[in-house]
Amino acid sequence: MTAAVPTDSAAVEVRGLVKRYDKVEALRGVDLTVRRGEMFALLGPNGAGKTTLFSILATLRAPTAGTARVLGHDVVTDRDAVRRSMGIVFQEPAIEQRLTGRDNLLLMGLFYGLGSAAARQRAAELLKQLDLADAADRPAKNLSGGQRRKLELARALVTDPQILFLDEATVGLDVDARRGFWAQVRGLAATGRTVFFTTHYMEEAEVADRIALIDHGQIVALDTPQALKTRVGGGVIRLQTEDNARARGWLTEHGLAPEAGGQEIMLVHADPAAVLPELLRTLPVKVQRVEVHEPSLEDVFLKLTGRGFDGETPVPAGRPGGRNGGAA
Amino acid sequence: MIRGIYAVVVLDLKRFWLDRARLVAGLAQPLLYLFVLGAGIGANSQLGGGDYKRYIFPGVLGLSLLFTATFAAITIVFDRQIGFFKAVLIAPVPRASIAFGKIIAGALQAFVQGVVVLPFAPLAGVHLGVGETFGLLCTMLLASLTFSAIGLAFAARFSSTTVFPIVSNAVILPMFFLSGALYPLVTAPHWMQLAAHFDPVAYAVDLMRGALLGKFFFNPYLSLAALVAVIAVLAWDSVRVFNRGEDDSSLGATKFNWRR
Repeated sequence: MTAAVPTDSAAVEVRGLVKRYDKVEALRGVDLTVRRGEMFALLGPNGAGKTTLFSILATLRAPTAGTARVLGHDVVTDRDAVRRSMGIVFQEPAIEQRLTGRDNLLLMGLFYGLGSAAARQRAAELLKQLDLADAADRPAKNLSGGQRRKLELARALVTDPQILFLDEATVGLDVDARRGFWAQVRGLAATGRTVFFTTHYMEEAEVADRIALIDHGQIVALDTPQALKTRVGGGVIRLQTEDNARARGWLTEHGLAPEAGGQEIMLVHADPAAVLPELLRTLPVKVQRVEVHEPSLEDVFLKLTGRGFDGETPVPAGRPGGRNGGAA
Repeated sequence: MIRGIYAVVVLDLKRFWLDRARLVAGLAQPLLYLFVLGAGIGANSQLGGGDYKRYIFPGVLGLSLLFTATFAAITIVFDRQIGFFKAVLIAPVPRASIAFGKIIAGALQAFVQGVVVLPFAPLAGVHLGVGETFGLLCTMLLASLTFSAIGLAFAARFSSTTVFPIVSNAVILPMFFLSGALYPLVTAPHWMQLAAHFDPVAYAVDLMRGALLGKFFFNPYLSLAALVAVIAVLAWDSVRVFNRGEDDSSLGATKFNWRR
């Protein structure tokens, strides 16, 4: 899944991208480079600007300022070249529900300029490649959610694109269907295609080579999943004691800073394994349960922005904006 | 460009085929006008019952074409809501071919609906010889294209499926009533004759009636020129509206965006 196609231009190159709607600034100067052959995830809460960024890359909206290139083609001046070279799966359905899977793919082939015979052949290939034989001759509306999403994926693959955009492509699917979908995507990535995706499911983001965190229309961090997690500070210790209040007090006195609130005590530390034995021995309160885990991507986001993905924790004073939701 | 038009036409005709039962249901309206309204009004008409039905037959055909074409145009409004067109909009298809494809597809659907009415011609006392049939089919095709262009020019500006039919009725019905489809324009009040000169439906119906009965109200060349001009202007207008959609992913429907 590492860069397989050596080439001079990046898969996606975004510089100083700004998108302003009437009053809302959805993107406030985004810089981003996705390498060829990379699995790249874009994470952030609703309204952070993910869908706006994808719409611009997919040539559906024009940026207010800045530039964006897909496989070296400018999304404004070289629109048709971008359209020809990418495939995209939207959050909402973009297939004709009353037509069969085969007809949907056939039509997309026609829209991409294939002749009737070539479009027919391409549709048959894709149905086979994505295990959609059952969906071929049934109207899309009669398919299961998982099959419909796969059909969306097949639609995005009609032109055999070198880059694939997935905008929360698996939202609302059950675990099995999501696994099936991602197995297909990983297969595509393994053949050297670039996959640029957003998701709400953290475990899906774990498969990315690199992750960008976006908040209030700006990239707040960009790194490998592992490197992002080490930014939190190593590990998270969770303690359940007989007297949490007393334990908190003691921990604070001893220079450890437990996070405020919660049923349990949460403690972020650079090296939990080194500090934990000593801690358990000297803590004057009986510990009922202890848990050590790697920081999750959500912990990373919390640490970097002071808010969770759900946006429930209020924005601390001093952070710019405070506008949340609205522009997606 | 041509391939894009072809793709839009194939898409719409495939969907039309799924709804082919509508062809039969679509017969109800023209037949009602022809044999109920026609019989009722015809009995009191100076033309006499039989002659009146014969007279309004082309007008009723026009009605059928007009309503089918307008309804076909609504699909563009549906497409925006369901999202299939999002996939089309990111395909390398010029917006112009979407507009032209929509006009052609709508016209073909209207034409087919009109053809389904033709077998009832003898019952209305209309004789369909080879010459008349040929002339009628040609004028029907031209009328279908005109009505489809009218429908699209409206539909292209709407993103709501609830508002569009109301607005279109407020425009389509007056155009139909002023067209002389159900009465001779010659004996109509002066202001109606005048209004008919600004009504594309009047030219279309007059051409069809002329092809069928050999009598024209307008100079047929004027009618031809008027219809071709209407198609050209409205097609250009739709292309313009669709191109505006290049930046807002809505295929241009920004002006009457009441529901968003």
